[in-house]
Amino acid sequence: MFVAGVDVGSTTTKAAVLDENKHIRALSLVDTGANVVRAAERAFREALRQTGLEEWDISFTVGTGYGRYRVPFGNLQVTEISCHAKGACFLLPLTRTILDIGGQDTKAIRVNEHAEVKDFSMNDKCAAGTGRFLAAAAQVLGLELGALGAVAAQARKPLKITNVCTVFVEQEIMMHLARGCQVEDVLAGVHSAIAGRSVALLRRVGLEEQITFTGGVARNSGMVQALEERLKLKLNVTPESQHIGAIGAALFAWERTARGETEKETHPSGSSSIPTGGT
Amino acid sequence: MADNYQYQGTGRELQKELLSQWYQRLEDAPQNGTPVAYVFISGNICELLRSFGFELVFPEVNALQCGIKKVAGDFILKAEDLGYSSDVCGYVKNDIGLATSGNRGPFGTLPKPDLLVCNYSGCNTYIKWFEALAELYGARLFLLDVPYRRTGETQRPEDLDYVVAQLEQLAAVCAGITGRRYDADRLSEALALSRAAEDLWVRILESARHQPSPFDAFFEAVFFMAPIYVLRGTRECLEYYQAAWKEIEERIQHGMGPVSQERFRVVLEGPPPWPHFRTFWELFKRWGVCCVASTYSKVGGIWDFGLRHDPARPLESMAEYALNCYTNWDWTLRRRMLERYVSDYQADALVIHSVKSCRSFSVGQADVRDYFSKERGVPTLFVESDLADPRYFAEAQIRNRIDAFFEALEHRRVAAAPPVG
Repeated sequence: MFVAGVDVGSTTTKAAVLDENKHIRALSLVDTGANVVRAAERAFREALRQTGLEEWDISFTVGTGYGRYRVPFGNLQVTEISCHAKGACFLLPLTRTILDIGGQDTKAIRVNEHAEVKDFSMNDKCAAGTGRFLAAAAQVLGLELGALGAVAAQARKPLKITNVCTVFVEQEIMMHLARGCQVEDVLAGVHSAIAGRSVALLRRVGLEEQITFTGGVARNSGMVQALEERLKLKLNVTPESQHIGAIGAALFAWERTARGETEKETHPSGSSSIPTGGT
Repeated sequence: MADNYQYQGTGRELQKELLSQWYQRLEDAPQNGTPVAYVFISGNICELLRSFGFELVFPEVNALQCGIKKVAGDFILKAEDLGYSSDVCGYVKNDIGLATSGNRGPFGTLPKPDLLVCNYSGCNTYIKWFEALAELYGARLFLLDVPYRRTGETQRPEDLDYVVAQLEQLAAVCAGITGRRYDADRLSEALALSRAAEDLWVRILESARHQPSPFDAFFEAVFFMAPIYVLRGTRECLEYYQAAWKEIEERIQHGMGPVSQERFRVVLEGPPPWPHFRTFWELFKRWGVCCVASTYSKVGGIWDFGLRHDPARPLESMAEYALNCYTNWDWTLRRRMLERYVSDYQADALVIHSVKSCRSFSVGQADVRDYFSKERGVPTLFVESDLADPRYFAEAQIRNRIDAFFEALEHRRVAAAPPVG
């Protein structure tokens, strides 16, 4: 028995395939681009290709992320908040707080020992403090996203970035560069600004150890360092950090299959079809 | 079958009819020579003004009508063109845009005011709003200063005396404008009608204690509460609540409610996002959510806590009423109210809809969220948009928060339920 999870994010789309023992059999990642349906299909097919499986071998698929309703082959949609909680607690069972920094969303999620979401908080109508903020900085500084952490680590005099707007931060960076500031010092300032906003979100839900950092930005070592410095705590980061939402979605699919459900269900909420066990 | 459900839809239909008749009277006021007063909803002293023959305009109601009819955005932009900042209250900007567009909205043309009664209850922006209107229309402005109910204390007698003294002054101003004398009998008659309508309105609100609730105390209450805010003290208002109660009674008899299957009961704090009212409601309905109590339905008066207008104490009871609308209570009192609603109405969660352009009322909501979620263990959802400005409503984000919140509540229910099979 195999199950799949597809996480259609604003920037990238991820897919995960699990087997009946909940072993991760494949993880894939593609750029979302403008066609959300195609992105979901491409990520799914890439995961299938890695395993040598066919579509009909997958008994249940859960879609998550902003594009979850556009996963045409999905049996169920679950929000990325539930999926990140599920995935993070599966990989790191001592997780009690999750920080997920994605392309346009930053979320702080507090969970209990059963991986149930107790509280969550997200950035509001503004991409400051998200991956997009880093991408804007990287573009102005002429750096690849993957290189940001290493460059920021060389900072000697990190600058204070005061702007909280993803658009106007570019002007602020240009101003610092025009004044002759070092790229690494500017970049360290950008990381520190994002860390500040993320920690405020974490405190809103109540910080409880262990903290697991998920989402694409968790791959940036500079961001991990900036957060750890501010929190004075160690963060859990796994190699699968960017795929945790997809893994969580696949785990929801696994639970459904274990309960013997394979048919696509319709639910009044249109989102989750977990029975309420009552009326 | 049809006989079984003879009253369904009465509350909404009759409310619509009453409001359209009222707006027609407003449109006709200038040619009929009827004096017109503008007044705010919260703690309004409409019985006193009507006893002098005034027709009443409520600018907040006009603003919400523009919001729900999706023309608020244009009026707001017009006000911004005139120099109002994007941070100014959406209601204010909507009204300024409307007033400078010939006062013509989706409800018809509004008459100019002969008197502006700024019954300042908790919102300091409102003073500036009516100052602007006074300048625009060259109308007389009366500031009814209602002291804030502060620090959770009991009612101060000097606050009551202070408001009563102002009501006496206001009566003299009304007499000067209309040429009519203060008529205590006429006022007491109106207050008796108010009181009877208040009894019925409380009965409707408290019907939400039933499980399932026959009534949505937020999404439906916004329609059902209109007559008691704008037409209180009239016979048509009382008759409205008699008819509306029949509808609720019938729903109780048949176990009917606003959602086909009630799965979650919530208490809601904050006003609706008017330009996206239906979308917002649907986002909750699809989860089987019924709002069993709300604070927004109390901005015009907290009658479910025992307060009533009293024909035997006309000015005093009007002053008590003005002092005790939701917007005039401090956060200690509001928090106690929310606590009581959560327990009395057996709610599963608290939902806070915060208003971006209203700092006066949104400022304490983060603390309320912390208190309920961290200290009381009540799951609390916080979403933010605006009551009037359509630009602040981001559907994808709001939907995601609502879905994630009820998904988590449902997961917990499933986990807590005994295993099946």
